[in-house]
Amino acid sequence: MEKGKISSLQMAIMMYPAIVATAILGVPSITAKYAKTDLWLSPILASFLGYATVYIAYKLHKHYPKETVIQFSEHIMGRFAGKILGFLFCFFYIQVAGLIVREYAEFVVDSFLVNTPISVIMGSIIFLCALTVYGGLEVLGRAAQVFFPIFILAIFFFSIFLGPDFEWKNIFPILGNGVMPPIKGGIVPGGWFTEFFLISFLLPFLADQKKGMKYGMMTVFVVTMTLVLINLIVLFVLGPATSFKVYPLMSVARYISLADFFEHLESFIMAVWIVGAFIKLSVFYYAAALSTAQWLNLSNYRPIVWPIGILILEFSFWSLPNTMGLERYLVGTFPLFALLIQTIIPLFLLMMASIRKRKRQASQ
Amino acid sequence: MLLYKLPLMKNYRKRELIATCKKNGGSNLIRNINKLLRKPKQKNNDIQAEQERQDVKPVDFLSNHFDHNVEAFRMVYDRCSDVVFRPFLLFGKKRATIIYIEGITNVEGMEEFVLSPLIKETASETQPLNEFLENKLPISKVKRMHTIAECIESISSGNPILLYEGESAGFSLGLAKWEKRGIEEPIAEVGIRGPREGFNESLEVSTSQLRRIIKSPALKIQSMKIGSYTQTTVAIAYIDGLVDPTLIEEITNRLKRIEIDGILESEYIEEMIEDNPYSPFPQILSTERPDTACSSLLEGRAVILVEGTPFSLIAPISLFSLLQSHEDYYQRFMVGTLIRWLRYSFLSISLLLPSFYVAILTFHQEAIPTALLLSVSASRDAVPFPAVVEALLMEIMFEALREAGVRLPKQIGSAVSIVGALVIGQAAVQAGLVSAPMVIVVAITGISSFMIPRYIAGIAIRILRFPIMLLAGTLGLLGIMMGIISIVIHLCGLRSFGVPYLQPLAPLKGRELKDVLWRSPLWKMDTRPHLTGEFNRYRQSPDLAPSSKKGGDTQ
Repeated sequence: MEKGKISSLQMAIMMYPAIVATAILGVPSITAKYAKTDLWLSPILASFLGYATVYIAYKLHKHYPKETVIQFSEHIMGRFAGKILGFLFCFFYIQVAGLIVREYAEFVVDSFLVNTPISVIMGSIIFLCALTVYGGLEVLGRAAQVFFPIFILAIFFFSIFLGPDFEWKNIFPILGNGVMPPIKGGIVPGGWFTEFFLISFLLPFLADQKKGMKYGMMTVFVVTMTLVLINLIVLFVLGPATSFKVYPLMSVARYISLADFFEHLESFIMAVWIVGAFIKLSVFYYAAALSTAQWLNLSNYRPIVWPIGILILEFSFWSLPNTMGLERYLVGTFPLFALLIQTIIPLFLLMMASIRKRKRQASQ
Repeated sequence: MLLYKLPLMKNYRKRELIATCKKNGGSNLIRNINKLLRKPKQKNNDIQAEQERQDVKPVDFLSNHFDHNVEAFRMVYDRCSDVVFRPFLLFGKKRATIIYIEGITNVEGMEEFVLSPLIKETASETQPLNEFLENKLPISKVKRMHTIAECIESISSGNPILLYEGESAGFSLGLAKWEKRGIEEPIAEVGIRGPREGFNESLEVSTSQLRRIIKSPALKIQSMKIGSYTQTTVAIAYIDGLVDPTLIEEITNRLKRIEIDGILESEYIEEMIEDNPYSPFPQILSTERPDTACSSLLEGRAVILVEGTPFSLIAPISLFSLLQSHEDYYQRFMVGTLIRWLRYSFLSISLLLPSFYVAILTFHQEAIPTALLLSVSASRDAVPFPAVVEALLMEIMFEALREAGVRLPKQIGSAVSIVGALVIGQAAVQAGLVSAPMVIVVAITGISSFMIPRYIAGIAIRILRFPIMLLAGTLGLLGIMMGIISIVIHLCGLRSFGVPYLQPLAPLKGRELKDVLWRSPLWKMDTRPHLTGEFNRYRQSPDLAPSSKKGGDTQ
């Protein structure tokens, strides 16, 4: 199916933008609605879901080292139930990929290319991702490796350039309303952290499988830190106004002013952010293509890359009526849906698998 | 096209074709020819190709009859006025003939060392003739040839063939000599410091240059002949023990499948053996510097030398090999690092600057500071075109100027540059066709594209500049990012003889970044880059770092 091998470092580098790219876009303002000034605590709380998901994915991988979730769910649940579960996974990843495309395109159209038809924006990014997925996992890993430094450097300079605009007092009061607000605020980022289950599709193709767990956990930590950093920046600059902005990061970018010459850099921020969105979508696209091919027992996933691309495009229109619907979906449906598919069902699978293993050992 | 294909056709077809040509207008012409040619062309070609193969490679053995042999050669060299048959009497008794080609054979040597001793009448024949020839002739290379094909090969490479009565073999005499260019400075790769020798059109000179630098017998040079007509010698040089043996096998196999009329330049080889023929990026490096070739050999790469061109090929390479110059290593390492970074940044400028200008001016005006925006818009006031059209016009004009300048004789070349500078620089701005900032952008782009040390890599960037400009004109910065992402995807999928094209960066190889992101001091470059397969890791001893305390006990 996939002949390429990636290193666990490449896996970590792919997973980082796969979580962060959209989590820094609209999520801070959603978090701020519930957590108010404690929004920077929410990612830390949400990250436990990430650690749990990585742990579950890695343990499942230990049981079935050469298979992805589509294949081993058949072994665990039996052929019929396994196929149903597999379909659920395929559907989930295609639908989420569509959602990401919609999120990306809505953002670009809203903020920059107001007169460009949204289908052009969607089509172009899906085309690029299809090329990458068609190239295989190695190409995806290398592309992520090339773009990762750009992404990190941008976040780094972003936080430095905004330094003069920081209003440090915005952080107070810490936990003024008790622990509940940050926990409530952590629900939506939690949905993002469950996406770490994607490593289940990458672990079988690692050249150094033993390091998979270590790098997975490390990625969760780095992602958490990044989200905390971004939330803090947003909080320091915007303060209580954070929850009113649709894209708080872009609003913050408008504050950057260097030597009275470099101003209004939001278009450059967008340009760098596109790279992250590209990697995120590629990883989801890859998971969708691979799982569909495995679900259909195909020998190669490449023939279905383009059809899946069309499906993703369709899903990006079908899933949501409009931008308002997007936010409602992200707050209401997505966290639970993602948690169910990517953490609870795998946990269930893991329990089944270990019970089966114990039974087998007992019978021997 | 028409003229080229006519001789291939039978006569009646030709007549028919000419008739149709006269009837139809020009536009239908080409399609019709193709229609007419499609079938007969293939048949003709097949027959022809077979005939050619028979003509070129007769495997017949030489016979015992002297006359038959001479007649056979006369048939082969029918209508070849440069081939000389020199009949004479061997020791005054036996009839003999020397066959050679004028201009590539050392005629004086032949007269002095072959003809004059052999023509002399010697009374006694103490030993058989063939032994006499092999033992007594004062020529370094004498070889017996048994087939006509071998003899022809020998004659073609300048070694005369001696035939005589009663012998079913010819003697190839090593007397090849022709006019060669002297060793000169490599014109396409000049530098301030470093050897001033370049490779040569003659293969022996080129291989000798490699051998003079790398004296170890581990330097192996294998040669083969490619091209059914030109029979060009192609040599693969590598260092045994440093190179991955499968690489040499792969290169040999790829070279062996080339069946072509002729090899006129190493580009012919390059296009036939590269991994992805549809990529704008070269996957094989060409150089005319022996020192560059040798440094690649020492890193475990292979060098392919081709007769008739000073440009040798190096494989496998990565993108960064194209951005390294020999001078990076002949200067202090800090300078080397700095220049390398200058090169990287100007590479991106040469790829992106015009697109950037277009994108920002068309879509993201808010990113320009107000004062700058005012002056730019003031100068663009009179320009009737949108920024994309303006940029495209100017860039195409610049490319045309450059192309015109490359191939013109020097005297006219200066005229072109004067006209170009006037047209691009001043008249266009004054006439209000182009804005002054655009001229600056184009000029900077032009200069930065000259910064890339390998001309051929510069071409790839020049090609890619145009689609990105169009993307920038339609989607702004988003379009530019789309362009960059698609180039990166392409580069990530590219390989050169099994080595990923972005090697030390993606996939990341920490040890090799020392020669890519910066140029480490030579005493720190302890390890060779890892290409494919097994490799010999260490190239020098550790702790080479010099200091005043490491000089020994001398005071």
